[in-house]
Amino acid sequence: MPKYDFGINPPYLNAAGSLGFAPRYKPEPNRPTLGALVTNPISLAPRTPSQGPRFAAYPGGFLLHTGYPNPGLSAVIRLHAAAWSRSPLPVIVHILGQSPAENAQMVQRLETLENVIGVEVGLPPGVSAAEASAMAKAVVGETLVIVRLPMEQALELAPLMIDAGAAAVSLGAPRGALPAASGKIIEGRLYGPAVFPHALQIVRSLARQNIPVIAAGGVYSQAQAEIMLEAGAAAVQFDSFLWT
Amino acid sequence: MQSHRARVREISLDKSGEAQAWIECPAAAVPTPGRYVRARSAVGPDVVLAQALFAAGRKKDGFLTAPPIPVSWTPGSEISLTGPLGKGFTLPVSARRILLAAFSPTASRLLPLVDQALANGADVAIFSNSIPNDLPSRVEVSPLKLLPENLAWGDFLALDLPLELVENAGSLLGLKSGQFLPCPGQVLVFSPLPCSGQAQCGACAVRLNRGWKLACEDGPVFNLSELIHAKI
Repeated sequence: MPKYDFGINPPYLNAAGSLGFAPRYKPEPNRPTLGALVTNPISLAPRTPSQGPRFAAYPGGFLLHTGYPNPGLSAVIRLHAAAWSRSPLPVIVHILGQSPAENAQMVQRLETLENVIGVEVGLPPGVSAAEASAMAKAVVGETLVIVRLPMEQALELAPLMIDAGAAAVSLGAPRGALPAASGKIIEGRLYGPAVFPHALQIVRSLARQNIPVIAAGGVYSQAQAEIMLEAGAAAVQFDSFLWT
Repeated sequence: MQSHRARVREISLDKSGEAQAWIECPAAAVPTPGRYVRARSAVGPDVVLAQALFAAGRKKDGFLTAPPIPVSWTPGSEISLTGPLGKGFTLPVSARRILLAAFSPTASRLLPLVDQALANGADVAIFSNSIPNDLPSRVEVSPLKLLPENLAWGDFLALDLPLELVENAGSLLGLKSGQFLPCPGQVLVFSPLPCSGQAQCGACAVRLNRGWKLACEDGPVFNLSELIHAKI
């Protein structure tokens, strides 16, 4: 049994960006049963896709550089809030504010929506400790708050997020660089089974510090999800495994 | 979304040395030209991502895939197909002279249009840097560089264009700024489709004159006239 209880049962979720803005999910054979759904990252204002190559594969996975395109919070609520309310699973909205004030504004609009049980706050790579704390403090209140940390900064930032009042931290995909098909080197988020050992090590370290951590990164089977739980994760997120 | 059980019957190499497979599947799973199916192992995930498969040849009981295919597949592999997905080509029945042009390394994804066009009684010319296998003798094959000077011959143009070349579509066709295409056309924007429409991840986003669209959901086939930045 997981050490922390967020009311998400079973303690499995999709990672933000893996099932769309109005996640629909029907477990098939060899697929996990989820306890909650996480939306794609949503910013206050619309975001367009990144320019240039956005995908590069390597033997252990692949790199994505998409810029998290989305139509902005107002459009997402207009288009998808009804689907969230009808969802058989509770919904966690991933927010991508550019400032603490933006995040606070977004949470204010989300916390009254039916079947939305919380928010996951995405932090940009390279965020400073002070900025991260301010982002978390701005949204802590009535709703469940999970802060998604850049994996490379998770050990440094996680204690600060819990001190700021977050219920848990989750792990964002680590970043890397690869040549795209054109030969141009692109930087972006890394997905795939090769990420798992790094993610497991971070989950173990955070669990030893009694930090509620939602594991993510390279989980490609139910057995690996259970290993994450045994290592002390409060819950586990699946990302590109859901695209296999 | 419908899933279908399928089986890899045979694996072969096309003329460029890329592996392709004959897939046995129900007729409902055979993708029409330009559409795709999401394919994965039926016994559990064995790859990093599901594979988007386009048809290079079609029959009632299956289809020949365009490359690539997962390296783990062997003859007899049991697979699961979801789809067909996306929007494909719509060949005008009235078109009498069809131009097909592949700016991708393979023309395979355009080949199902050949059968359709010939069945309609149309003439077909293919422009590609790789010469496809087993084309009917009625089909004229030319190097890609000859496409601009032959554009005026066609009354419908179908392209296979990698995503990274979309911005240059007009110049690739030899069109000058402000010049219009001499005939209507459609373009299959070929892009990695990591989420195959499951997540709107944005990896396959294409800028059209009506805004950003996703090749996995809104395409991968679009009207050529929608590529405003190609100035056509």
